[in-house]
Amino acid sequence: MSDELLIVRCRLGERDAFPELVRAWHGAVDRYVRRMLAGPDDDVVQEVWLAVFHGLPKLRRPERFAPWLFTIARRAVTNRLRDTYAHAGPEPAEEPAGPDESDAIVDREVLGEALGALPVREREVLLLFYLEDLPLEACAQICAVPVGTVKSRLNRARRLLREELVRKEYEA
Amino acid sequence: MTPEELIKRLDPPLSLRRRVGYVTVALAGLLGSGLVGLLWATEPGLPPRTVVAFAVLVAIGLAWAVFGTWAVARRAPLFARDRVVAGWLGVAAWLLFTAGAVVVTTLRHRIEPGLLVVVLVLGAVAVLRLRAARRGRAALLRRKEQLSRGS
Repeated sequence: MSDELLIVRCRLGERDAFPELVRAWHGAVDRYVRRMLAGPDDDVVQEVWLAVFHGLPKLRRPERFAPWLFTIARRAVTNRLRDTYAHAGPEPAEEPAGPDESDAIVDREVLGEALGALPVREREVLLLFYLEDLPLEACAQICAVPVGTVKSRLNRARRLLREELVRKEYEA
Repeated sequence: MTPEELIKRLDPPLSLRRRVGYVTVALAGLLGSGLVGLLWATEPGLPPRTVVAFAVLVAIGLAWAVFGTWAVARRAPLFARDRVVAGWLGVAAWLLFTAGAVVVTTLRHRIEPGLLVVVLVLGAVAVLRLRAARRGRAALLRRKEQLSRGS
């Protein structure tokens, strides 16, 4: 079933469409929140979904659901980061991978840690463009910046990520 | 958190009963304060204590109306089907208010032009809201049909 059809069914108020929408997009939201906050945060994920369901009746263009969803997720993440910095608490760290896990998981962990070391703006465009496979225009809409700014952030993000991975390799 | 856990957590805010409940509370508050206000406005020579009692009842009704409206706006979004249900509830509330106005007019044996205007305006608002809700739902149903045929 297409996303647009699912959104239309949700906007109609069909009860069984809501769980389907959550199942279809929960992974992407959870991944975005996890990477942006350098760790899982169930409260932020729940906040995102509550805002999604509150905003769904006003969503005029169901085909633009993905950028709209990530705009909401971005707002929730920004609020959480603001709270974290305001309280100056310890930053949440990713759980270390177990020694018996496969190389693929270790690679993903290394990449996750390297992503976590990037500045928030660069990390965000990398996640949206590469991990969520969103077009440049959608990334620009979500980040509320021009497309040119997204491109320059992507360039900088790629360079920083490369440097971070090289540094980690040396450390290992 | 798994999707199923999340769905369970989202269940209360998405409950249809809760959404329609808030609309009912708002309309009941508005209807109650409207009818009490009607009696208050049309009853001549009320003692001060009765005026205070009427004012308190109107305030309570309005408080429920404000709470219901706030809850619908902030806590329980209305989807297309809910809007149609809310539209019918609005028409029912208007009919009850009109019945109250007719009773008051019959008891007084005179037609209040101001009251007539209020009843007509409220009726127009209720009917237009219901019409808009039904049109919105019909448009979404058509789009659903198109997308279902296409997929």
